[in-house]
Parts: sequence; structure tokens; C-alpha cells
Amino acid sequence: MKHLGFSLLAAFINIVLALIVAPFFEGLMRKITAIIQSRKGPPIFQPYMDIAKLLIKEDIEVGHAPIMQRFSALLSLGAMLSVVLFIPLLGFAPLARYADSILMIYLLSLAGIAVLLAALSAGSTYSIVGMSREMMAMMTLEPLFAVAVIMSAVKAGSLRLDAVFGGAVYSGGIISGVCLLGVVLFAFQAFVGRAPFDVTEAETEIMEGPLIEYSGPKLALFKYAHMVKLFVYAGLLTAIFIPRINTGMRALDAVIFLACQTAIVLGVTLIAATHARYRIDQAVRYYALLFGVAVCCLIVSLVGW
Amino acid sequence: MKSRELLDTINARFVNAVLRTDIPDDTRLIVHVRREALKDVARYVFRDLDARYCVGIGIDDRENSGGFMVAHDFAFDRDNILLSLLVPMPADDPTLPSISDIIAAAGWSEREMRDLLGITAIGMINPKRLVLADGWPDNLHPLRKDVPYNISPADYDETKTYPFDEPPPGTTVVPFGPFHPTLDEPEHFRLFVEGEIIRGCEYRGFMVHRGIEKLADSVMTYNEIPMLAERICGICGCVHAVTYAQAVEQAACIKPSPRSEYIRTIMLEIERLHSHTLWVGLASHILGFDTLFMQSFRIREPIMWIAEKISGNRKTYALCLIGGVRFEITPDLKTHLLDVLKKLETEWTAVFAAVKGDKNIMARSKGVGVTTKEMVKNFGLLGPIARATGVDIDARRDHPYAAYDKVQFDVVTGEGGDVWGRIVVRVLEVFESIKIIRQCLNQMPEGPIVCEPQSELPNGRIGLSSVEAPRGEAHHFVITGKNNRPHRWRVRAPTYQNLQAIPDMIKDQRISDMTITLGSIDPCFSCTDRMEIVDIKTGEMRLWQPENSFKAQPEIKISVRKRP
Repeated sequence: MKHLGFSLLAAFINIVLALIVAPFFEGLMRKITAIIQSRKGPPIFQPYMDIAKLLIKEDIEVGHAPIMQRFSALLSLGAMLSVVLFIPLLGFAPLARYADSILMIYLLSLAGIAVLLAALSAGSTYSIVGMSREMMAMMTLEPLFAVAVIMSAVKAGSLRLDAVFGGAVYSGGIISGVCLLGVVLFAFQAFVGRAPFDVTEAETEIMEGPLIEYSGPKLALFKYAHMVKLFVYAGLLTAIFIPRINTGMRALDAVIFLACQTAIVLGVTLIAATHARYRIDQAVRYYALLFGVAVCCLIVSLVGW
Repeated sequence: MKSRELLDTINARFVNAVLRTDIPDDTRLIVHVRREALKDVARYVFRDLDARYCVGIGIDDRENSGGFMVAHDFAFDRDNILLSLLVPMPADDPTLPSISDIIAAAGWSEREMRDLLGITAIGMINPKRLVLADGWPDNLHPLRKDVPYNISPADYDETKTYPFDEPPPGTTVVPFGPFHPTLDEPEHFRLFVEGEIIRGCEYRGFMVHRGIEKLADSVMTYNEIPMLAERICGICGCVHAVTYAQAVEQAACIKPSPRSEYIRTIMLEIERLHSHTLWVGLASHILGFDTLFMQSFRIREPIMWIAEKISGNRKTYALCLIGGVRFEITPDLKTHLLDVLKKLETEWTAVFAAVKGDKNIMARSKGVGVTTKEMVKNFGLLGPIARATGVDIDARRDHPYAAYDKVQFDVVTGEGGDVWGRIVVRVLEVFESIKIIRQCLNQMPEGPIVCEPQSELPNGRIGLSSVEAPRGEAHHFVITGKNNRPHRWRVRAPTYQNLQAIPDMIKDQRISDMTITLGSIDPCFSCTDRMEIVDIKTGEMRLWQPENSFKAQPEIKISVRKRP
């Protein structure tokens, strides 16, 4: 019972941390993008204000199924925050004992499903176009991430999250692990939905696609979910591909973990700021290629390289 | 070939077709053609003599000749001739044969003259309304001289809607507009889409009618109109002012002062510089490449500042008068301008290097929005769109005006006719503009900047003028009139022609490519929509309206209608 209490406290800390740091990452991205673009840029804490402002706005019901729309907004943030529970932000994954890799992959897909629901229940033409794009992207991207997790699981000999995390991917043959890291890095912009793979929202083509009909608190939740998504994926990338951080001091571990996440966010920013958006067919072809490479890595790892 | 030889060629081919001719000089030819012969003459000029179609103009000439007239303008780009085929029609039967089955480019012109003047081209391919608002009464043609410029029709029907085509079977409609955040101007494309592939589209535009042509020939005077003409477009306004001034000067045989011709050239090129840098930015934004967007705008900013220093305004320079210009380029400004150009050249070289090797931009723009040489010919496509297709036309070289015949520059052409080609052409044209401005600054003769006409301008003379705007050739047609104002002034902005080819350009492309294809013609809806209907909803006219012209007609009240 005492252990459960400790886990719950850590889980709570994780969620609070995610909610606080995610907008900061967004602010950091905006600021650095601005510097690259010779602009001054917004204050680094602007995303907090954006979300606060959207949250206090009137909740306008437009679209075909208001209940479903509200639900999908909650689901998108909720799914992402659930994943946060399994990320070893403080050196250990709080609820890892109660879940495994399969559940985590499900929860990650659930965030995508929330976008599909949002688009479908809004029912505008552009959101439907956005939905079909999101669906295409999901179908090719989700397996890619699954391969990364499965390979770690195969090498660790367990689906348990604390076994999968912490660089298990390199054990028993480092070549396949490093190759997979490469693949995941190449696909990372797509995982977090940033340029050049922001095809689902593509403001100048389909005007934010699935989100076109959303405003106020619902939009705030979607935006928040989008920010937390970057936080989560940066966390997962660190957890899976960086060997377990263990300096003996909890606080230092946590800081190093956060530093790794920040570095990933900086990388994402640089790539997003220097690339033009791909078209959906080009993006899907690119994902398919990466998926092929990832499967090859998996096979190679079975051989023992 | 000179205009007289062209006339001989036409005369040799057709007996009894030509009623009357007017040869103002070696580069202009005005031929009055019998209505019945129009189709044959137009086909001969367009197909056999390989002229480019410019625009069709409807004219209410009842107070002079007792009837209506239609002018079809053609350009002979290799021979530097602008030809106008004028067709007179009796007042009680304003009809003429349609030429849009031979010359697709004439489609909009014919629809426009039907809307605005009630001149019907018999056999039009697409007889739908083009310019007039949906609720405007059918029998009221606002550009006719007996219709007041500020009319607010009592039988305006708010409930009437545009009869859109049915989508082809198996497709759904994706609306692109009436307001789309990418383009910032109202326009409405109905895309017929199968999955992500566009199978066809229908365009309904002309939503921001401002009544500019009507205002010019009923209220304003010769020297006020350049200021109005500049407001046709927020980006290439100076082009329209210069084109108008040149058309009037040509009609009235006024020679602008030599120094003013150089100043005009410099300002036109400054305008091209800011327009192309702006376009590269916007195109990058459409492609989701915001860093280049921001950098282009930063690079562009000094051009705006120097324009402000020279003219007092970042845009809308208020440059032109009939016979010259309004401001001088002083030695101080010259030095400053040269500095700006030097910096621009360095920075733009870096932009070119970045764009040239960018795989993402290439992936998004190669093979997208393709135009062929046939399309260029049939739709009369202009400017960078034609040049990127390998059609070597540029009004600056082909129909030299201002000081362009005294400077050296290259006409940049590309291959492939796709968006990528247009990007390259525009990026490289910036360097040519820099070259032109430098030469002008060095060669400028001293002297007055305006030769004002001493006597009243003659009545009933025709002037044609073409100027290479950043988006292609702007073409103006002027008939001089009484009361110190033109009898008819027709503006043909380049987008008017280029936009007509969009349905063909986006056919069988993806939705994602729609915005960049449309963006690649650098569309200027406000230029295209410069129409003759007074905007009663906003009362926008007040801005351009000298107060006394309201007082002159106290019986007509401007009504500001509330939105429903």
C-alpha cells in the first residue's frame, strides 16, 4: 500500500511536470524559430498565456456532434497525459508496474484516434481531408514506433516498461540498435507532427485540417495535447535510446533527463525551421521507407547483431 | 514589321472587312472591322499571324458614333505592335460574333462586356455571369453612359445565388474560398475532388468590385486618374498608373519628359523588386517554409524604406502625371538607393543559393501546376508563367516604354512550365531589376520631370499601352473624351488572363498543390476585380471622391446598405 501511494505521488508529479514543461518547450521552439528567422519572437512564456486565454473563452458548439467533439478534445490530452505516467522523468517510471509496452503503444494511438474523432464530429470538408491525412499518417507511423518498442522488448526479453527503457535496445547487438535510433530520429518530426511533416494540419493548404472548427477551451485542449505530445515523444526517445541515467542522485537524474528532452526539442526546432512541408503522398512514401528499414533492423537484431 | 505593313497584310487577305484604319505610329494599329468579318479576321490574326490576345473591351459610344463598339486587342511581341480590332455595332442591336471558341483567352472579356454593357457575343462558350453580383438586376448594365456611377438598384435581389455547376459524378466539392487564409483576398474556387485529387473546378470571383473604371470616366479627371489607377493594386499600383499615363500620352501625342521616363523606369523596377521578394516569401509560406518567408520579408524591408524616402510612401507612390512624374530622384536619394541595391544583391544571392539546392522545395514544386506552350497561347498567359514555360515574352523588351529601350537587361526564361520554373524565373529577375535601376541612375539626363500638356486633350483618340508588371503584362486601353476625362478606360491586369488558366493548371493535381499553384501565378484578385460596380455596402467610394463631385449631383444619395 505504501508503495502504491509513492507511485501515485510520483505519477502526479509526472503529470504536473508535463503540463508545466510542455508549454515551455513550445515557447522555446517559438523563440528559437524566431531567432533563426531574424525575428524577435514572442515571450518564451507566451504558450501559457495562449492556453489560459483559450481556456477562459466561451465554449462554442459548432459541428455535427458536440458531445463527441468535447470528448475528443479531452481524449487527446488525456491519452497523452496517460503516457506521461510511464515515462521515467524522475529516474523511474511511476506506474510501470501496472502497464506494459503494448498498453503504451495503444495509448499513443489513442491520441491519433482523438484527432480522427475530432475531425469526423466537426464534419467540415477541410477537417475530413485532414482526417484522411491523419489516418494515412497513423497507419504508416504507428507500426514504426511499435517496431522500436518491440525490438527493445525482444532484446530485453520482456514487455515490461522498466525493462524496455534504459537502452535495452543496444543490448545483444549494438548495430541494430543504432540503426533503429537513426530511423526513429528521421521519423521524429512526423511523430510530433512538426514541419516538414505537419501535413495533417497544414495551415496554408487545409487550414489546420481537423481543428478548423475548434475554438476556445476545446482548442486549448488540442493545443495542449500537441505540446504534451512533443514532451512525451522526447521523453520516450530519451527513455528508450539513452542508457539508464543513474548518478545516484534522483534530482540530478531528473535534470539530465530533462536536458536530453530539451536537446531533442532543439533538434526538432532546427529541422522544422529549415524545411518546407512535404505533401501527404511524399510523406507517406517516406514513412513507408523508414518502416521498411525499421523492419530490417528488427530482423538483423534477431540474428544477434 | 511595322504597323503599316501589318495593315497591308490584313488588307491583302480580306476584301471588304476593314471599314476604317488609324495608324498613330509604327507600333500601334487600330483597325475598324465589319461585325460579320470579325471572326475571320481574329482567327487570321491570332492563328496565322501568331499574335497574342490581350483583352476585349466593350465601349458605349452612343454619344459619339451612335452605337456600341467592341475592341479586341492583340500584341505582336516580336514586331512591337499593338493591334486593336474595333467592331462598331448599332445601338439597338449590340451583338457580335463570339471569338472565344477560337481564342479561349477572350472568354472573360466577352462575359464582362455582356455584364457591364449588355453587348452580347453570340456563341459564347460559358455564358454565366462574370463580374456583376448575383443579385444585380439582369437588364441594368452599369458601364453604360446613361447609368449613373453611384446607382443603387432598387430591385437588387439579395436572395439570388450563383448557379454553380453540378460536380462530376464520383467527386465531392471542396470549397476553396470565398475566404481562404492563404490568399487573403476573396475568391471562390469550387474544387471537384476525388480523394485528394482535383478533377475540375469552377471559379467565381469579382467580389471586391470598386467601380474604378466607371468612376474614372464619369467623375475624375485625366490627372486624378493615375492616383486612382495606383489603387487598383496594393502591390503593382505604380504599374497601372504608368500604363494609364502612357495610354493617354500615346492617344494625345504627348511626349513625357526624358528624365521622367527614367524615373518611371526606376520606380517600376523598385516595385518589381518588392513584389518578387514578397512573392518568394509568400510562396515559401504556402509551402510551409516559414524561415525563407521571414528572411525574404526582412530583405525586402529596405526596398520599402527607400521607396518611402523617394516618394513619401512605402507603397502607392503617387508617381505619375500625364506627361511626367511628380517627384525627383535627388543625388542624395541616388546614393542611398545604390546602397540598398548593393545590400539586396548580396542577400538575394544567398537566397538564390539556398533555394537552388533545396530538395524539399523542388519536391513540392516540380511538375506542379504545369502550363504548356499551347496553354500560354490559348489563354494569353503572361509574365513569369509564360517565361517559365519557355515562351520568351516581356513587354519591357518587346514593347519598349519609358527608358527600357536605353538599358541592357536579359529576359529570364525557364523550362518545364511548373511552379519550380516560376520560382527560378522570379528569383533571377530580381538581379535583372537591380541591373536596370543601376543603369538608369547612371544614364539619367537632367531636365524637367514633367511636360504638362498646354492645351486640352483631343477627343475620341485611342491609346494602347502595355507595361510589364511583376506578374506579367498590364494592358490599358484608353479613348479620350470630353470634360477633361477619358471616354473609356479599360484596365487589363495580368492576373485577368493568368487566372483563366487555373482550372486547367490544377486538373488532376492534389489538393495540397492547389494553393501553391494558385500562388505561383502571383494572383492579384483586387487587380482583376477592378470593376465598375460601386460598392454600396461599404461606401468605399468616399475615399477617392473629391467632395465637390458629390455636391454636383445632390439628387443622388449614396445608400449604405446594412448586411442582412
